[in-house]
Amino acid sequence: MTGDGSVTREALGLNRKKVIAAGLLLAGGFFVLAMTTAAQEDDPVSVSAALAPRAEGLIIARCSVCHSADLIAQQRLPRARWEATVEKMKHWGAEVSGEEADLLVRYLSARYHPGAPDHLPPLDSEVRKAEPFSQEPAKDGPVTGLASRGAGIFEHNCQACHGTGAMGGMGPKLAKNPILKHEDLFWETVLHGRGPMPAWGSVLSHQDIADVHAWLLTR
Amino acid sequence: MKESGDIGRVSRRSWLKTLFCGLGAVLVVNRVPARAASVESDLGSKESGPLTVRVSRPFDAETPVREFTSFLTPNHRFFVRSHFGPPAPDLIAEANWKLRIGGLVERSLELTAGDLKRFEPVTITAVVQCSGNGRAFYSPKVPGVQWERGAVGNAQWTGVRLRDLLVRAGMKEQARHVQFQGADRPVVASVPLFTRSIPLAKAIHPDTILAYEMNGRPLPLLHGAPLRVITPGWMADSCIKWLTDITVQAEEAKGYYMETAYRVPTTPVEPGGAAGGPSIPVEEMIVKSLIATPQEGESVKAGPVAVQGVAWSGEAAIAKVEVSMDEGKTWEPARLTGDAYPYAWRRWQYIWPAKAAGTYAILCRATDARGQMQPAASSWNPGGFLWNGWDRVTVTVTA
Repeated sequence: MTGDGSVTREALGLNRKKVIAAGLLLAGGFFVLAMTTAAQEDDPVSVSAALAPRAEGLIIARCSVCHSADLIAQQRLPRARWEATVEKMKHWGAEVSGEEADLLVRYLSARYHPGAPDHLPPLDSEVRKAEPFSQEPAKDGPVTGLASRGAGIFEHNCQACHGTGAMGGMGPKLAKNPILKHEDLFWETVLHGRGPMPAWGSVLSHQDIADVHAWLLTR
Repeated sequence: MKESGDIGRVSRRSWLKTLFCGLGAVLVVNRVPARAASVESDLGSKESGPLTVRVSRPFDAETPVREFTSFLTPNHRFFVRSHFGPPAPDLIAEANWKLRIGGLVERSLELTAGDLKRFEPVTITAVVQCSGNGRAFYSPKVPGVQWERGAVGNAQWTGVRLRDLLVRAGMKEQARHVQFQGADRPVVASVPLFTRSIPLAKAIHPDTILAYEMNGRPLPLLHGAPLRVITPGWMADSCIKWLTDITVQAEEAKGYYMETAYRVPTTPVEPGGAAGGPSIPVEEMIVKSLIATPQEGESVKAGPVAVQGVAWSGEAAIAKVEVSMDEGKTWEPARLTGDAYPYAWRRWQYIWPAKAAGTYAILCRATDARGQMQPAASSWNPGGFLWNGWDRVTVTVTA
């Protein structure tokens, strides 16, 4: 943080007062993102690296409901085609807000543009773990699940594989599944994935997971 | 008898592997547990396994072209493509599955799998090819599954003539199109269903069948069990899998997959341009050939090299296949081998006298009986359909 601050100070030639104000903004976390985006908008690699944590979370939570992410990664499209594609998916029911759609278009057209190499280096080498998709802070202690809320979270995130009403599909049936009684194993599976199931720790908050668990117990 | 039993076991096991491959690769998984890893290594890498996976869910995979040295493409190596993946098992279980025929008919029908077996069985060998086969070769790039060369195969299909069922139902005078609906469903209900129709003339053609067997085996799940449409000579977007509903109509089917997707422009579109101008549905296949061997990047010894491949065209026979070793400046005729069957592909062979060490590009092009010839590159279209540019492999000759 200190390093970033001094670079910013020199680059912008700010006086001491303004540096303090900037420091406050930095603490909020938004200034860095705004500066990065503004300064490097032309460099697709930096843009995709900056946006990847959130965009990848969105892709897992919203796009992968219907199709795996490999379908996205093989495209090489200009921005206008990405805009049309994201718009088509929204129209078909992808649950992304206007702001999220905009983020996805910026990310996709920075990473999968016509000039990008056929084989891109894996994201892991460029960015850290995806950010929690949910904006709620993760809690450390035990959380109490709300079954009524869990139904909707399950529908949007889990149903594609585990079936309507958790009755099973491509993934196992979860209604009355013994794993529900072994909470440690349930949490371990959801947070970190298991076999073909991806890790949802970067997509669902602890409250979300507890809500889904509570709802599954009612099935 | 024993032999066919053995083949049956092998193909069942391989089919299971294919299915596993699809399920196992559902999403990008960073940590691969021991069990999944063993499945992975059993399958080999994506390129050397029986299929090259393009999309893991819904499962879309193409056949490595080296398989095309054989006349029939085995079921477990046949390309797989669908918009939503196979339907839930209970929807197509024999106890529940029915084929409904309705719309502009005198008598609506509801047929079980057993009822279908009472119609005269017909066997046809036909190429089935994804309309997007070769999409990856269009420049500029077009959105969609980036198929390269192997979203095509040649199989023996057994079933009943669609016309026999339509005659049983009795078509009304206004009938012009026949619509197909399969049991596959999108995950999210707001996504349009994959509904397609074909014009009546193709529907009542005696070679258009509803197939329940593929290469002498019950139709596999990934290929549309229990019943799929086969429109010989036409692209696979008409070959609806998991068929449950046939509707005779006055109009073409409505919806995204008929009105927007699977269409090609009738007037040239500037490369990179948008769809939206006048267009027609993708129907008949166009003349095309592929080099099955040698493979891309292969090293061969100086001396005679057998260049082999396949060639096909929609409803026309293959007249000739030619090979070029100088980027298309001059062409040498290849020898057509095996017998010619309507709708099946024709195998061909060319003995190339590889003299000096070095790197060489081998090109091939086919011409059909109507005189249509494969172009160097297909004209660009916004959906990336109907690619039939010259095929090419690069090989290294060693002394």
